[in-house]
Amino acid sequence: MSAIFKRDLRGYFSSPLGFVFVAAFLIIMNLAFYVTNILSGKENLKTVFSVMLYGLIVVIPILTMRTFSEDYKQRTDQLLLTSPVKASGIVLGKFFAALTVFLIGLAFTVIQVIVIAAFGTPNMGSVIGNYIAVIAAASVYIAIGVFISSLTENQLVAAIASLGIFVGILLMDFSYSLVRADWLKAILYWVSLYRRFNTFYLGVFSIADFFYYISISAVFVFLTVRVLEKKRWS
Amino acid sequence: MIEVSSLTKTYGKKRGIDRISFVVEEGDIVGFLGPNGAGKTTTMNIITGYLSANSGAARIGGVDVLEDPVEAKKKIGYLPEQPPLYLDMTVEEYLNFIFDLKLVKDLKRKKHLNEICELVGLTDHFKRLIRNLSKGYKQRVGLAQALIGNPEVLILDEPTVGLDPKQIIEIRNVIKNLGKNRTIILSTHILQEVSAICERVLVINNGQIVADDKPENLSALITGDRKLTVRVSGPRDSVRRVLRGVEGVQYAEATIQAERGSYDFLVEAQPNVDIRKPMFSALARSGYPILQLKSMELSLEDIFIKLVEEKKKSYVSTSKQGKKPKSDLHVNVSESTSADFDDIAPLVTKNEDEPEIDVSRTDDQTF
Ligand SMILES: Nc1ncnc2c1ncn2[C@@H]1O[C@H](COP(=O)(O)OP(=O)(O)OP(=O)(O)O)[C@@H](O)[C@H]1O
Ligand SMILES: [Mg+2]
Repeated sequence: MSAIFKRDLRGYFSSPLGFVFVAAFLIIMNLAFYVTNILSGKENLKTVFSVMLYGLIVVIPILTMRTFSEDYKQRTDQLLLTSPVKASGIVLGKFFAALTVFLIGLAFTVIQVIVIAAFGTPNMGSVIGNYIAVIAAASVYIAIGVFISSLTENQLVAAIASLGIFVGILLMDFSYSLVRADWLKAILYWVSLYRRFNTFYLGVFSIADFFYYISISAVFVFLTVRVLEKKRWS
Repeated sequence: MIEVSSLTKTYGKKRGIDRISFVVEEGDIVGFLGPNGAGKTTTMNIITGYLSANSGAARIGGVDVLEDPVEAKKKIGYLPEQPPLYLDMTVEEYLNFIFDLKLVKDLKRKKHLNEICELVGLTDHFKRLIRNLSKGYKQRVGLAQALIGNPEVLILDEPTVGLDPKQIIEIRNVIKNLGKNRTIILSTHILQEVSAICERVLVINNGQIVADDKPENLSALITGDRKLTVRVSGPRDSVRRVLRGVEGVQYAEATIQAERGSYDFLVEAQPNVDIRKPMFSALARSGYPILQLKSMELSLEDIFIKLVEEKKKSYVSTSKQGKKPKSDLHVNVSESTSADFDDIAPLVTKNEDEPEIDVSRTDDQTF
C-alpha cells in the first residue's frame, strides 16, 4: 500500500494535475475570501469553510479522475493486480495519495485564517474543529471520485460523472428546505453532506457527524475494492 | 512448480480457453505457441491471478492462485503482453517502485536493480524518463520489472515483441540464462523462438492444447517433407517447366522475382528423395544457372500447421464422411535472405493461389 501511495503522490506532481488541483482550489478560496471578507469588511470564518465545502464539488473531480482510469488505460492496473498487494491496499494507497494532495491545498488556506484572526478574534478550537470536519467531508468526495474512476478508463468521463454526482448531492441539499414531508426531509438530511456541517460552523464538534463522513468514505472505498475484485471475472 | 488443471474461461459467450491442463516442473522453460487469439494471454492472465477462470485451478509452487493470491503472486514475475509502465517515471524510479510493490526484503536494493539493468541492457537508460524510451527499451523495462525480487516463476507474454533482430537474440539469451535456475513460461507466435529457448512447447490453438512435446520431438512427428528455395536466372515459365520435369519433384512454383531476370522458386521433393543433383543437372542442361540454393529445414512452423491440419482432417473425415477432406495443402515456409532475420519469421505466410488454412479462427469448433 505504501508503495502505491508514494507512487501516486509523486504522480500528482510529476504531471500538472496536482498543481492544477491546488491552484484551482486556492483560486476559489481566495476569490471567496476577497468577496466575503475583505469587500464586506466582515471577518467571518463560517463563509471560508462553507465556500470550501462547495468548492470541493468542482476541484475534487480534478483530483480523483485519474486514480484508476489512468491505470486502466496504461494497463498498469495489471501490474498492481498481479503484485502481492491486496485490492484494499491498492485502493487505500490511491485514496490516501489523493487525500494528501488535498491536505497540501488545504494547508495554504491557513494563511486566510491567520489574516482573519489578525482582524478579529476567531475561536481557535472552532477553527480546528472546522478543519477536521472539512477533511472528513472531503474524504467522502474523494472516496466517491475514486470509486467513479474505478468504473471507467476514460478520465474525462470519470471527472464529469463525479461532478454530476456532487452537483446532485448539492441539489438534494437545496431541496431539503423545499419539501414538506418529514420522511423525505429525513432522507434528504441523511444524504446531505452540507446540512450536517451546520453544527461545525456553530463551533460544535459533532462526533456523530464526523463519523458519518468517515463511514460514507469507508463505504465507497469498500465499493471500489469490490469493483477491482470483480474485474477478474469480466 | 506450475500446475494448471482444466482451466476454462469464457468472455461472455466467446470462448477464451477450454479445459487447459498442464504441469511445468521446476527449472523448465516452456513455450506457449499459437496464433492470434489462441488463448495464450488468457492462460497467463489466469496463472498470474489477473483474471479468474470459470472453472479449473492454477497452482504456483503448491499455492492456489485463488485461495492465497498474495502468496502465489509473490512467487511470480509477470511481463504482460503490453508492458505495464508508468510513463511519467524514470526507469530508476519505476524499478524502485516495483521493488517496494513486490515487498522485496532479502535483497540489497541498489545492487539488485543494477544487476537487473545490467542483465537486460538498461544501464545506460537508468535515468531516462520511460515515456521517452523506444518501444524496444520499454519492453526491456517491462522485462526488468518482471525480474525484480528474483521470483521463482517467470511468465513472459511475447517477451521479444517490438525488439530489433539483434535485441531479440540478446533477450533470448538472457531468458535462456535465467531459465537455468527458474521456471519460465513464455508465449510467442514465432516458432523459431521456442526452438531457440524452450525445452518444451505447448501448442495452443483455439483455446485448447493441440500438442505438448519437446521441440525436436515435434519435428520428428512429421517426416518426409523436403523443401528447397532455389534462385534461378531465366524466364519464369520455362524454368518452372524444367523444375517440374525433374524426377522426384512434387511441386515447384515461383515465389518472387528476386533479381532482374531471376526468380525464386519453392520446390518440394517427394518423400525421401534428394532432388538437388538432378535439379542442378537439369537446369544446367537447359542453360539456366542456379544463383542460390537453400534447403528449408522442417521448421516448427510446418509442424504447427500440420498439427492443426491433422486435427482438421480427422474432424472432417469423421464428421462429414463421403466428402473428401481438403488435401494437397502447400504451405509456404517464410524465408528471408538475411540470417539475422531468419529467426523472426511470422507464423504463417500463405501462397496466394493455394487453398487457405484458417489457423486463426476462433469462433467455431472445427478443430
Ligand atoms: N477482454 C476480452 N473480452 C472478450 N474476448 C476476449 C477478451 N480477451 C480475450 N478475448 C478472446 O479470447 C480469445 C483468446 O485471446 P488471447 O488474448 O488469450 O489470445 P492470444 O493467444 O494471447 O492471442 P495473441 O497472439 O493475439 O496475443 C480470443 O478469441 C479473444 O478474442
Ligand atoms: Mg496474447
